[in-house]
Amino acid sequence: MTSTMNVKIPADRIAAPSPWRAFGRMVGTLWSNGKARLGLCILGFFVLVAVFAPLLAPYDPKENTFERNADASWAHWLGTTAAGEDVLSQLIFGAQVSLLVGFAAGILSTIVAVLIGLSWGYMRGFAGEVIGFIVNLFLVIPGLPLMIVIAAYLQNGGILMIIAVIVVTGWAWGARVLRSQTQSLRGNDFVTSAQFSGDSRARIVFREILPNMTSIIAGTLFGAATAAILAEAGLEFLGLGDSSIVSWGTMLYWAQNSNSLLTGQWLLLFAPGLCIALLALSLTLINFGVDGISNPRLREGKGR
Amino acid sequence: MKYVLQKLGLFVLTLWAAVTLNFFLPRMMPGSPADAAIAKLSQNGPVSDATRAAIEAQLGVPTGSLWDQYIAYLGQVVRLDFGVSYTFYPQSVSSMVSTALPYTIGLVGIVTILAFVIGTLIGVAAAWRRGTWLDTLPTLTGSFLSTFPYFWTALLLLFFFGYVLHWFPTTGAYSATTTPGFTWDFLGDLLSHAFLPALTILLTSLGGWIIGMRNAMINTLGEDYITFGEANGLHGRTIALRYAARNAILPNLTGFGLTLGGVVGGSILVEQVFGYPGIGYLLFNAVIGQDYPLMQALFLMITVSVLIANFLVDILYGVLDPRTRR
Amino acid sequence: MSAMEHNDILLDVQGLSIEYASPGQQPVQAVHDVSFTLRRGEFVGLVGESGSGKSTLGFALTRLQKPPARISGGRILFDGRDIRELDAEELRRQRQGGFAMVLQSGMNALNPVRTVGNHFRDIFAAHGHVPKEDREARARELVGKVGLKPEVLDRFPGELSGGMRQRASIALALSLEPQLMVFDEPTTALDVLVQHAVMDTIQELQRSEHFTAILISHDLGIVLEATDRVMVMHEGRIVEDAPSRDILHRPQDEYTRMLLSHYADPRAEKIEIPGFIDLGTRRREGRSRTDVTETLPTVSQRDARRADAAIVVEGVSKRYPAPRRGQEPVAAVDDVSFRLQPGEALALVGAWGSGKSTIAKMLTGVEKPTSGTIRFGDADVATLKRRGLRDLRKDVQMVFQDPYAALNPLHTVEYALTRPVVNYTRLRGAEARARVLELLETVGLTPVEQFAAKLPHQLSGGQRQRVVIARALASDPQVLIADEPVSMLDVSLRAGVLALLEDLRERWGISMLYITHDLLSARLVTENILVLNRGRVVERGETSQVLQHPEDPYTVELLDAVPNPSRIR
Repeated sequence: MTSTMNVKIPADRIAAPSPWRAFGRMVGTLWSNGKARLGLCILGFFVLVAVFAPLLAPYDPKENTFERNADASWAHWLGTTAAGEDVLSQLIFGAQVSLLVGFAAGILSTIVAVLIGLSWGYMRGFAGEVIGFIVNLFLVIPGLPLMIVIAAYLQNGGILMIIAVIVVTGWAWGARVLRSQTQSLRGNDFVTSAQFSGDSRARIVFREILPNMTSIIAGTLFGAATAAILAEAGLEFLGLGDSSIVSWGTMLYWAQNSNSLLTGQWLLLFAPGLCIALLALSLTLINFGVDGISNPRLREGKGR
Repeated sequence: MKYVLQKLGLFVLTLWAAVTLNFFLPRMMPGSPADAAIAKLSQNGPVSDATRAAIEAQLGVPTGSLWDQYIAYLGQVVRLDFGVSYTFYPQSVSSMVSTALPYTIGLVGIVTILAFVIGTLIGVAAAWRRGTWLDTLPTLTGSFLSTFPYFWTALLLLFFFGYVLHWFPTTGAYSATTTPGFTWDFLGDLLSHAFLPALTILLTSLGGWIIGMRNAMINTLGEDYITFGEANGLHGRTIALRYAARNAILPNLTGFGLTLGGVVGGSILVEQVFGYPGIGYLLFNAVIGQDYPLMQALFLMITVSVLIANFLVDILYGVLDPRTRR
Repeated sequence: MSAMEHNDILLDVQGLSIEYASPGQQPVQAVHDVSFTLRRGEFVGLVGESGSGKSTLGFALTRLQKPPARISGGRILFDGRDIRELDAEELRRQRQGGFAMVLQSGMNALNPVRTVGNHFRDIFAAHGHVPKEDREARARELVGKVGLKPEVLDRFPGELSGGMRQRASIALALSLEPQLMVFDEPTTALDVLVQHAVMDTIQELQRSEHFTAILISHDLGIVLEATDRVMVMHEGRIVEDAPSRDILHRPQDEYTRMLLSHYADPRAEKIEIPGFIDLGTRRREGRSRTDVTETLPTVSQRDARRADAAIVVEGVSKRYPAPRRGQEPVAAVDDVSFRLQPGEALALVGAWGSGKSTIAKMLTGVEKPTSGTIRFGDADVATLKRRGLRDLRKDVQMVFQDPYAALNPLHTVEYALTRPVVNYTRLRGAEARARVLELLETVGLTPVEQFAAKLPHQLSGGQRQRVVIARALASDPQVLIADEPVSMLDVSLRAGVLALLEDLRERWGISMLYITHDLLSARLVTENILVLNRGRVVERGETSQVLQHPEDPYTVELLDAVPNPSRIR
């Protein structure tokens, strides 16, 4: 998975009047970045497909009364599966699951990362070292194997289980990035003056430091969502998720299990994977733009 | 020297934490994996007391306090005794793991180093010629490829090169018809079986290294010592390599150890698709068969390998960055 | 022009213009149509305040400007050739025996992963102007010329101090055997004593090596002392270009005169800068600041004197554990005692590492002393916990050094000021707002409604510092601890902020502890002074007395380090 967060964050700050206008400005800056704009368009496309799935899909995705393993035809644009379901409908409804899991897990991971990262960055001394050790532990332990093991124990837990597992294994990365940014901001005089102004610690963390980190947090969010989408697909492909739901990952699971490779049904292999890749790509592209906001050196432009 | 000791200490501590986590994992799960495991095992025949005790020590049956179980477990780990597998009964877990381990280490290890080196070089070039096609092409291609789920790239490659074009074999580590041994024939056979899995991992992980190095380089290129190097009339190549890349690789190295975990995860998916008999494939089968002892051991092995790799990278970092020696 | 005169001119800049062109924004002119010539062997100073374009010009002269800076017009003739027309390889070669540059921050100009010796080897290898067998010796010779020992060649940059790194940079630039050297603020980031030493070295080198040099600085004093000729830059244009003596005694341009008026010798008997006569003189004559001059606005008089408690510091020390085993613990502050009486202005002066900032932190409870006591009125500051500290800070407030870091870039001025008002007084809502506006009025930021809504990036450095002072005043404090409040401001803006601090003391009766390394400003606004050297008090007394007749050698050293325009050669 691409990591676009591997940058040194300077103490440069971005001025913005209020949270909403800041958001608007961010979207505007993103839009002006070519890569991010492409990402936003692709993401928008998938969101629309997911939202309007019942209207767009020609058939119910679980309806398996059609001819099996059929090739592409006018009735079935992408053919049918080995169980006789329409591939296109499955593809369209699959968007719902991927987006849901991706963003739910991504948002939850980011919230955990923010809470831990910010408090860890603010505190000094031994407590900081202990938390650092725990975070490092979660970082080093490979994510997918851990997810596989937990999912194996939890047997068919469904989407909620998948989301929970992804959050538990994925928060550490964001926490580390956010902590380093918090630390560098904390050294600024305006934090000390907030202390002198009599503000409480909580207020300082949430009203002084946090607002200066919005773009980093956005970057973490998109990164986490990307990882979540890929992780969810992976788990379902291995058959560890809920195989009865229709998602892109399960489509590939059934495809492999029913030997589509041998029967030459490449559309069935191609389409769901392409969708996963495109969705993940869109978030990564958006992150390019977000990186440019937080780190002015990375903005578009010629080099030497 | 102090640096090395520090890293060693951290390594040992993290190792201990991972082992402990492994201990608690099955005990935190709902239901009793130990009972389920024993029940499953007894389908194959009577379960000896030693095996029963081993399973219980591994998976937690409330005989003796938690602390006693923990000590027993630690003892087992140190002796590399992980009990008996029950999907492949009566093979011992350790023997199965040791058979599979070399394949994965060979595959993942070699490919990752290759991908890191290639990706880093491309990243340096991309950042140096920022804004030109040398930058945009690898960056976009790399990002796009890296968003492909590992298993999808694997499926596509397998389909096209294996089934359609018949250029490569479609499963296993070596053909059933060749005899293992240090012969060129066998080696060639081995390589042709490993080629597609390797290519999959390479293509998917390359993008991450490219982007990581590119970003690190771009940051480094903004530093004053680059400008000063230019002011002193150094050759472009000297600046790019000895001044910029040499510094930019440091933050990238710290990222290496962490990203390795992702590659290892991906390799599990790749092995599953190709039926390549490494650790990942074994883990997959263990999960399907609910073979808990095998699963535990494999998970531990995977974690330990990543930890060792991280430790080695830390040492390398210490060699490259003189600031650690102060 | 005769042939000989023509050969004598090394650099001929004709109508140079530079703009900053960011994508999606209007281009900003940084340098307007600048023309000047440099003869061989001249040592010229380029002076300007922040935003004048001097650094931009300096970088362009050596063709090191980076996007978004772009040369939009003019010619730069170096030794007869227009360097704008050189291609990349010719330009690179030109850097040997041609022009060289020394950057501002010696900190970062060296590659952290290569030893100093390797830096030299890289340069020699890139140009080949020194035969291989001589390279070692030449490197040693060069570091010797800048006052460094040969062992430095085996060190990594991280092992050297800031001053040593800057000297190494100079030596590296010298290794190119350049005809022209451009020094961009070479000493700004350094400690004041080190600054003085490095400037001496630069002057000596220029004399002995005979290169032509441009010294870019915001400090007119340093430039006048070191150079033969000065160019004054203001808003992208050169407003005056004359020999140093003429600039000092017969400045033609208004802006130059304004800059000069802000310089004075702290050792003189009476010091006068616009809006200010030094405190010592005024005390003797029994006059207040506003009695003397009305050029700077003042605060309103208050009836009740604010400060009633004294700060008493007795035998305070602060030791930090040794950074590495086998070394002594570091004593940042060593057995310091003093009193700050209500309404008094006391200066704490010393170079970097003298302990003055640590003392400020201990007085406000940010750090605790390892021994000794600090009392504010009845309370022992070292024993205060959260609640007590909060109460302490109501009375003892701080004004910070860096106006760019002291304000949160996302919050309006009003928000920044409302926080202390709400936290320390009972005022809420409309009353709190009224108080905020009152504070803005006090510090002279009018019209107040407009300023309340502004964000920090819309304010100048001086205005930001006033907001910082306003924030410190919000809790109605008894004591203001001002830690280098004007060092980061342009010289012309300092008087205004100093006047404000002075008036707050005279008319509101607030005590002030003024921490600085700048002896001139200390003389202007304080009655008493404490000189610190490595954590110990080496001299104390009445400010004007101590600075006119210093006894301790360290004080003398500090005084010598102050650039004195009237000492030009």
